[in-house]
Amino acid sequence: MGRKLKSIWVFHLNTGACNGCDIEILDVLTPYYDAERLGVKLVGSPRHADALLVTGPLTRQTYYAAKKAYEAMPPSPRIVIAVGTCACSGGIFYDSFSVHGGIDKLLPVHIYIPGCPPRPEEILFGIAQLVGLVNKKVKQVVQRASPELKTEPLERLWLDLREETRRVVGYFDRDEVLNTFKELVLKAYTRYDPRRSLEKLVDEYCSQTDDPRLCFVMKYLYTRFLDILEWYKKSHYNIEDMLREEAWRRAT
Amino acid sequence: MTSYVTLPYPFEPTEAPPEYRGRPIIDPERCIGCGACARACPPDAITVEDDLQRGVRRVKLDVSRCIRCAFCEEACPAMAIKLSREFELATPNKEDLIQIVEIPLVKCAVCGRYTNATVRQVAKANAITTHLPQALREEMSGYVNLCDRCRRVRAASRIYESIPIFHKPSTKATVGEVHGSKT
Ligand code: SF4
Ligand code: SF4
Ligand code: SF4
Repeated sequence: MGRKLKSIWVFHLNTGACNGCDIEILDVLTPYYDAERLGVKLVGSPRHADALLVTGPLTRQTYYAAKKAYEAMPPSPRIVIAVGTCACSGGIFYDSFSVHGGIDKLLPVHIYIPGCPPRPEEILFGIAQLVGLVNKKVKQVVQRASPELKTEPLERLWLDLREETRRVVGYFDRDEVLNTFKELVLKAYTRYDPRRSLEKLVDEYCSQTDDPRLCFVMKYLYTRFLDILEWYKKSHYNIEDMLREEAWRRAT
Repeated sequence: MTSYVTLPYPFEPTEAPPEYRGRPIIDPERCIGCGACARACPPDAITVEDDLQRGVRRVKLDVSRCIRCAFCEEACPAMAIKLSREFELATPNKEDLIQIVEIPLVKCAVCGRYTNATVRQVAKANAITTHLPQALREEMSGYVNLCDRCRRVRAASRIYESIPIFHKPSTKATVGEVHGSKT
């Protein structure tokens, strides 16, 4: 693309998408996101189009149709926009028997917009980049890790508890919930009879929160915590002394 | 006064909501190179390979393949990989979407070849086995720094040493001798 693009007329081509990306493209054209501000217009035939907006993996069924649509476009500028992870690389369908891969297996792609589906802002960002309003923000990174690893004291206990939390809490809230429980445990271990006071602290927490799910998780974790302690005891892991030490170290 | 419906987005910055699943990012400070994420990833966006020449394990995350399912975040034992809220990913070059983390591998204490464990995996294993009896930990520490082959040799010779009826001083082999190089 030597010259700067102004208004791009696009032809939307679905080469086998699950329709997720197509819905997002629909979103982009609504007044709320209004891609037409950037000069984008959806046209009904590739003969009128400057750009091919491709969604979905390149399937065997659509291989020749996609080729024909590309050849039907005017010889220049013939832009190809790959929307969605599928169009970028095959995505979740990449190793399916009927899928060639991303659209770049057949056509030269000018801009990749990954996401499954990409949110409308991502598509807008891609289009804005095509018309020269913004610059790309990502670049390849190669990071060399140092040999040292930061480990926490009592790492084993927190990992076991995290494993238990996994059973009842989704990935999004897990670490937060676990940290709350961790604080309760460390608080209880600065007191006399930590198990009783942990039970009390959990009850207290339940009376304060208005989310019954959190209350359930805390009670569940409390019972699991006791089980884990029993299990450690059997394998001669005297964690309670270490917990007490750690709790005092944090408290002071 | 006019009010606008349209989002001013590409002209003014915007942010994704907190629960938005953006690109996953590996924290090179925390990743131990275990490959659990690569196993969990449904479209194989993460791949792990050992470079035995340079002695590093390369964890390669290809965001252009990622469907943002957060399975990797579920699986990671080191809480190293997390879905961020980054969404401005469009690029003309697919290579831009790749993140590679290289973690050094352990060198075998006997034969000097690289093993199939990273230095950080060993550190992690040591950190989570503090509860084991001291004798067992000492026995373990003799194995963690060995490659597969030397590990087998060591295990065999330890068994050999521990069974008195096999034990004839003249035929007793040590790890270094069996492997052809003394440490
Ligand atoms: S990228 Fe995701 S949403 Fe888009 S077509 Fe593929 S599977 Fe569907
Ligand atoms: S979010 Fe899902 S697809 Fe993306 S890297 Fe993680 S496991 Fe793979
Ligand atoms: S990101 Fe996590 S799961 Fe993936 S290799 Fe690193 S430590 Fe293992």
